[in-house]
Amino acid sequence: MPKTDHDPLGPRFDRMLRAELHRVRPLYSSPRYLSEPHPRIRMWRFAPVALAVSLAGILALSAFVATGSANPAVWTERVVTVIESNPTPTPEASPVQPKAAPQAAPTHTPDHQAPATAEPPERSEAPEPSETPEPARSPEPGESPEPSGNDSSSGYEH
Amino acid sequence: MPALADLDPEAYEPGSRDDFDRLYRNAYPRVYRTLAAILGDPQAAEDCVQDAFVQALQAWTRWRPDAPAEAWVHRIAVNRAISYRRSAKLRQVGEVLRRLGRPAPPPDPAEVATQGDLLSALRSLPPKLAAAIVLRHYHGYNNREIAAALGVSERTVGTRLHQAGERLRAALEPSFLLGTGPAFPSDKRGSYAED
Repeated sequence: MPKTDHDPLGPRFDRMLRAELHRVRPLYSSPRYLSEPHPRIRMWRFAPVALAVSLAGILALSAFVATGSANPAVWTERVVTVIESNPTPTPEASPVQPKAAPQAAPTHTPDHQAPATAEPPERSEAPEPSETPEPARSPEPGESPEPSGNDSSSGYEH
Repeated sequence: MPALADLDPEAYEPGSRDDFDRLYRNAYPRVYRTLAAILGDPQAAEDCVQDAFVQALQAWTRWRPDAPAEAWVHRIAVNRAISYRRSAKLRQVGEVLRRLGRPAPPPDPAEVATQGDLLSALRSLPPKLAAAIVLRHYHGYNNREIAAALGVSERTVGTRLHQAGERLRAALEPSFLLGTGPAFPSDKRGSYAED
């Protein structure tokens, strides 16, 4: 073999190693793979199935506890009713958001003062403050009770 | 002794139980001797080889004939031996602590057969280096076959062989010098990297 000529240990090392290892008698016992591997393989092969069955059992048990019925049809009905009852709050929540959105929009626009395009919406909103006199008029209805109070106060002053 | 290249990898069909039995009969003595050289303990070598064949059977359907089956089993067995040596060191620490102050037990006669200077020096090497040396100098594997057997690159094999050779030279040279001639003539030393 040409490779041994390049080995730093040399051919003598090969001879000695072979002589020493040939003296080693392999211990022969019955092959372990004949007895051990199959149960182990089968056990692990069915492990996912066992896991799935146990999960399904837990789900069924929890559904039985929740509905009080062992009938799967009742479970599905319960699920459907729960799902149908859930969407109603979400449409209610959605109208709230548009109300909040216009309020949030003006607050954002001052933050974006840099773009010039953001200013016109502020001007458009400016009329809204002009409408604020309506709240200013609110004291007028408030005056109606006040006159009596004012009168009384005036009378009180007197 | 048949070299690895002489063993036709296509002679084994993955998943075939008969072929696995044949692989066991053919490869067991060779793999056993490899582990005996690495571990220096006949019982441990047998235990690890048996475990390796158990693992090999579990993966036998996934074995690809592009690598020789014996190299594949060697890879499993060497990894098993490395794990064994690692745990044996921990056990030795516990054993030393238990035996403090007591005389050491007499050596096992079966172990004495594997207690030669050369095998003792091999056992003093890290298992990966010892495996490379045994596969090269006992089984006649080339660097490519050792790389397939150990799951490393050919360059890594060359490095390991060089390191192992240096350590063995340092450990064995005095006793070798007592023989008929120099075992390690420095003028003829070459490189492992030329396979």
